[in-house]
Amino acid sequence: MSTQDRTGNSESNPNVTILAFDTSTAAFAAAIVRDGVRLDATISFTERNHSVKLLSEIKELLGRNGLQGKDLDAIAVGQGPGSYTGVRIAVTAAKTLAWTWGKPLIGVSSLEALALGAWSELRENGTDVAELGERAWIVPLMDARRGQVYTSRYLVDRTGSWERADGDGIRLIEDWSKQLGHQAASADGKGSPSVWFVGEIGATQQTAIEQAQLETDVRLRTLACEMSAVAVGQLAGIRYRQGERDDVHGFVPNYTQLAEAEAKLLAVSRGE
Amino acid sequence: MSETTNTAASPSDHIENQELPDSGYLLLAIETSCDETSVAVVRNGREVLSNIISSQIDTHRQFGGVVPEIASRKHVESMTLIIEEALREAQVELPDIDGIAVTQGPGLIGALLVGVVAAKSLAMALDVPLIGTHHIAGHIYANHLVGDILYPAIALVVSGGHTEIVLLESEGKFRMIGRTRDDAVGEAYDKVARALRFPYPGGPYVDRLAQEATEEVVLPRSWLEPDSYDFSFSGLKSAVLAEINRSRMKGETPEFSALARGFQQSVIDVVTGKAIKAAKEFGARQMLLCGGVAANKGLRTKLTELCAEVGLPLLIPPNKLCTDNAAMIAAAADMKWRRKQFSSLDLKAEAVMSLEEWSV
Ligand SMILES: [Zn+2]
Repeated sequence: MSTQDRTGNSESNPNVTILAFDTSTAAFAAAIVRDGVRLDATISFTERNHSVKLLSEIKELLGRNGLQGKDLDAIAVGQGPGSYTGVRIAVTAAKTLAWTWGKPLIGVSSLEALALGAWSELRENGTDVAELGERAWIVPLMDARRGQVYTSRYLVDRTGSWERADGDGIRLIEDWSKQLGHQAASADGKGSPSVWFVGEIGATQQTAIEQAQLETDVRLRTLACEMSAVAVGQLAGIRYRQGERDDVHGFVPNYTQLAEAEAKLLAVSRGE
Repeated sequence: MSETTNTAASPSDHIENQELPDSGYLLLAIETSCDETSVAVVRNGREVLSNIISSQIDTHRQFGGVVPEIASRKHVESMTLIIEEALREAQVELPDIDGIAVTQGPGLIGALLVGVVAAKSLAMALDVPLIGTHHIAGHIYANHLVGDILYPAIALVVSGGHTEIVLLESEGKFRMIGRTRDDAVGEAYDKVARALRFPYPGGPYVDRLAQEATEEVVLPRSWLEPDSYDFSFSGLKSAVLAEINRSRMKGETPEFSALARGFQQSVIDVVTGKAIKAAKEFGARQMLLCGGVAANKGLRTKLTELCAEVGLPLLIPPNKLCTDNAAMIAAAADMKWRRKQFSSLDLKAEAVMSLEEWSV
């Protein structure tokens, strides 16, 4: 074994194979990603209860690619936010599989995966950053009911950079879309970015974005798209190569908010 | 324990027949139906090598009851840790595990889901059979961890969520002959405890207070129809509340201990009375007491007396096997394990689930 083999860097370990999955949205999405490239993927919507098919789908996905647990380098999972129950299903499966197989666990933001998946889709469709300006904002949306969305914001540009601008949180879509419209219009420097709202764009989100459009000159665009497990695997692959690992036992979903009972208790203790 | 000894070639020799190692087979069981995360390793369906129970009671106490969303969150936090601890304590390794048992229902759906997904992940990753198990079958078969069961048997299941009389005509054949029409015994205890100003969960306080009481406020017994094995405790609970209110209206301090005693005596008279009657009617050769409320001293004492009077052998598991735990799930799953009645990887957690249909 050469010294290079022991460093664990990309040169010595050319094939990084990652099993990735996410159940934070209405989709059950799973993929096998090798060195940042999609090897195979599956997505299904048949049951809102992702717990039913999850394991047989993963088994089938591995099987048809001739893979076993021991062939994997890591298990990647969307950590949320999203449906509480949904996120728990993928996180529990990922923790248990990683622990049982003795493989590294790598969590990624489900919102970031949704955004990256959309960005890939836009580029595949020939939507060029240059045509839209120097840079764009990718704003992933997941419906969180009562006019709220789980969301964040990513900056992309024609060099291919990918940068988080706002972290995962729960916001009112009405306020959020207006805020981003104003912010984009007043962005100084190289001119206004183009703004893309991506992911779960239902009637509520569409209406709010159209309202926000009336208040800004910057074009607010939408792309309805599904969760991309390939993106989960790609984001995890980056973390993997940087030597990052999550603690399997300590790993928990990112709910972005307290459970309702906890929030109430906290309010009482503050005398609210 | 003769049932696992391999004597002659079995007529049902199966192509999948796995060879049993000398040490027997190991089931790893997971139970997450409510607020306890529990994992057990059980050898040959009866020998408990480990039974780790992580209680969330301290968390839920501040809310005055189990909060389902928080219970589910806690299960995710501790799941793999508890699995690891169960293996360590059993002094076995993952590859030694021959099958995975899990509580499929009934229970809190969000809580069940965590255990079911963990169990399916284990079964898939280890490539071993999975057995979805009925929670109440688990409570009943906790008795099989402490003694041999003689059939037909009558099981009295008393817990926070259940009050049932179950007839077992033979191993793993369940027939529900009585159930509560409103509150479960444990629920009634907790509600009365709250009225008596005990912190959650108050059942054990009521039990202790009743034991210590020197007087008793006699409360009504709810026998329902003469031929019914069903229960109803909401009237009794209301009687306690009414009694407390009446004292307060008169400016008196309610006689808490006498009330606790009266409540406890009423509950115990009815549940033990019906269980004994069922045992007689169905010619039971054994009485099984199980469920979290089986830890109640007053109940244990009374049922022991009544069974002795009629010469009926009685089994009661120790407290640790009465409250929710995974070893009992392995004990019930073992009946299906021996019959090779395995679940598919598409097993679905069920908040409501029939015990009779789960029969072997
Ligand atoms: Zn129980």
